[in-house]
Amino acid sequence: MSLLKIRNDFIFLDDNKWIYFDNACQSLRPKQVIEAITQYYSHYPICSGRSNYRLAVELQQKLTDVRLTVSKFIGAKKPNEIIFTRNTTEGINLIASSYPFAEGDVVLISDKEHNSNLVPWLLLAKTKKIKVEVVSTNPDNTWNWESFNQKLSNKVKMVALGITSNLDGATIPFEEIIKKSHQFGAKVLLDGAQWAGHHQTEVSKWNTDFFVFSGHKTLGPTGTGVLYGKETELAKLNPYQVGGSTVADTSYTDFELLGVPERFEAGLQDYSGILGLGEALRYLRAIGWGEIEAHEKELSKIMIDGLEKISDINIIGPKESDKRNGIVSFYHPKAESHQTSIILDQTANIMVRSGRHCVHSWFNARGIKDCVRASLSFYNTTEEAEKFVNELKKVIGVLA
Amino acid sequence: MFCIIAFLVLSIIGIFSASHRVLAKEAFDCVFRRITLRPCNTGFSEKMKAQLIGNIMTRSIRMARFLNGHFELLSWILFISTVASLFWTGKGLYNFYMYGSCNGLNKSGFCALDPNGENNKISQAGGSCTIGSGDETKVTLKDVDLSTFPTKNIGSKDTVVFIGCFNCDYTRKAYPVFKEFLNKNQVNYTFAHYPIKGETSYILPIGYCAYQQDKEKYWLFVDKLFESSKEDNAKPEYINKVLTDLGYSSESIAKCSQLPETKTAVARQRIELEKTNIYGTPLVFINSRGLVGPKPFRVYDRILNGLKFWKN
Repeated sequence: MSLLKIRNDFIFLDDNKWIYFDNACQSLRPKQVIEAITQYYSHYPICSGRSNYRLAVELQQKLTDVRLTVSKFIGAKKPNEIIFTRNTTEGINLIASSYPFAEGDVVLISDKEHNSNLVPWLLLAKTKKIKVEVVSTNPDNTWNWESFNQKLSNKVKMVALGITSNLDGATIPFEEIIKKSHQFGAKVLLDGAQWAGHHQTEVSKWNTDFFVFSGHKTLGPTGTGVLYGKETELAKLNPYQVGGSTVADTSYTDFELLGVPERFEAGLQDYSGILGLGEALRYLRAIGWGEIEAHEKELSKIMIDGLEKISDINIIGPKESDKRNGIVSFYHPKAESHQTSIILDQTANIMVRSGRHCVHSWFNARGIKDCVRASLSFYNTTEEAEKFVNELKKVIGVLA
Repeated sequence: MFCIIAFLVLSIIGIFSASHRVLAKEAFDCVFRRITLRPCNTGFSEKMKAQLIGNIMTRSIRMARFLNGHFELLSWILFISTVASLFWTGKGLYNFYMYGSCNGLNKSGFCALDPNGENNKISQAGGSCTIGSGDETKVTLKDVDLSTFPTKNIGSKDTVVFIGCFNCDYTRKAYPVFKEFLNKNQVNYTFAHYPIKGETSYILPIGYCAYQQDKEKYWLFVDKLFESSKEDNAKPEYINKVLTDLGYSSESIAKCSQLPETKTAVARQRIELEKTNIYGTPLVFINSRGLVGPKPFRVYDRILNGLKFWKN
């Protein structure tokens, strides 16, 4: 992997002015993605699927190709197991709203889920009287089998878990979790938002029932996301949004839904976004997962090693860099998190995120106010990671 | 404390800048929560503190550390300074409105709203025209006998005295404004010519005699001399022409002005005027309240009639 060549693809990194460590929020986009979006608006800014002129047919083919690209990217068996969404949150909401839950059904989540994988279930608990049960993690935020085994039962209809936590980057042993869940007849929904842009995804091999991820975290445009579902599972879902593009025919009293995936993609789709997403996924695959994982692990190690030398700093999650997936979160008792991130930005153009990172429940349960999160991607450099550590030392030196 | 100071400062900057208006709103929310005994949960103070520290950190780590360590204390100091500054600014605005000077009645220190001190400039006794340097607090009408001075509207409730010099710039500047004030208010009005410059001293007995001979025409005579050029006022033949044009007998006035009793009366008038502790012209008394220098109309009017919006 030629880092210099890669960085040249990212216009934002052109002048090396900024150090972007907020990749868990969203990734940057290479020129190829921007070009794909521009191409749509420049050369075929038209409707797909509804018209039969040549350009419309051409666009339809491009979108079909992207669906195929996505299915290959995540290792799905068929392209029609892919539903385009706006983001991960929408994918989870689609499942929560459409899966045939009954009163008393249990949905199992972990104690550090992103609000997007918590609130939809809590809402469902209010509206459909399902039960949401929470698996506790270990003190170092790693997966707690004991707690999971205690909670898992035949009443569990869905195990909904983030593969990699956006809080601390810790990754759960999802393949074993899937096997175990299936033994109890539970379906598994994996939130791959923090995973898909950093590791190879193989949904069919893993045998997960559902998988969701966002385009904006995988070099793609904002407003794009994907819901994967096994063909058999998607067939069980009732569409929660219907209208144009979801039906084959209507009368004044009835309608005939299209098949999967069209029935879940109501209204005119974000064509440019989908085309951009396709390009993003092709770009990621071309780099190679082995290269990406090794580089991010190296950066993560630099950060963790550097942070551990700062006295009184609390690193959230496991200390081993190979368990962190390029997300390093920490807090210091004497250095306010928001101040730390603002000063890093002001003094060194380092962009990190501070706050509760949409995992308020975890912070509230532990009485921790907030934290600073630095999240990496393959286009970050070792120099940037080292600079981050050095600048952070200075900031803590001033604030603490 | 920082919220309050930030709110005050950002509100002022926010008048001109939309981005600062947003911050001012955020600061206000914080202040509002504080005064309603709730914690400020917007993170505003932390955010602003971080920006300040970050800014300083790029220049000096030590300074940044000092700011971080003493932020609350520095906020208090700034808060007190700002409140004091706002108080003095308010007082200055009030004084300027009321007295034409930020510093108060007859105070001639620097005023940002009147940077050249136009409202306090006087023609100084002794001959030079400058900002007055006499004791502004001592001007008074106490024990001053004005009975021999030209006066009109005798019996009116309010008394106004104008002491000025026909050839002094600031008296000449004040007179039209003052005339407007007189036209709008029925007051017992006394005029005294106090020649700062020797070139118009010769008008004193002429004026005295003109008033004695025809009290109505005298006021036209005064108006005319303030309208005339300083050069003309310095020429006796011009004064004679003015008198003639007004219907006076210039010979009779000339004869009167040479009389010993006229000279005595004029000298006595001068003595009476000195009792006011005058140190420059124009000096105006409105119901015994002395105003040194040419004031805006609103000042004369407000002192006589009080604040208009109070009366509505």
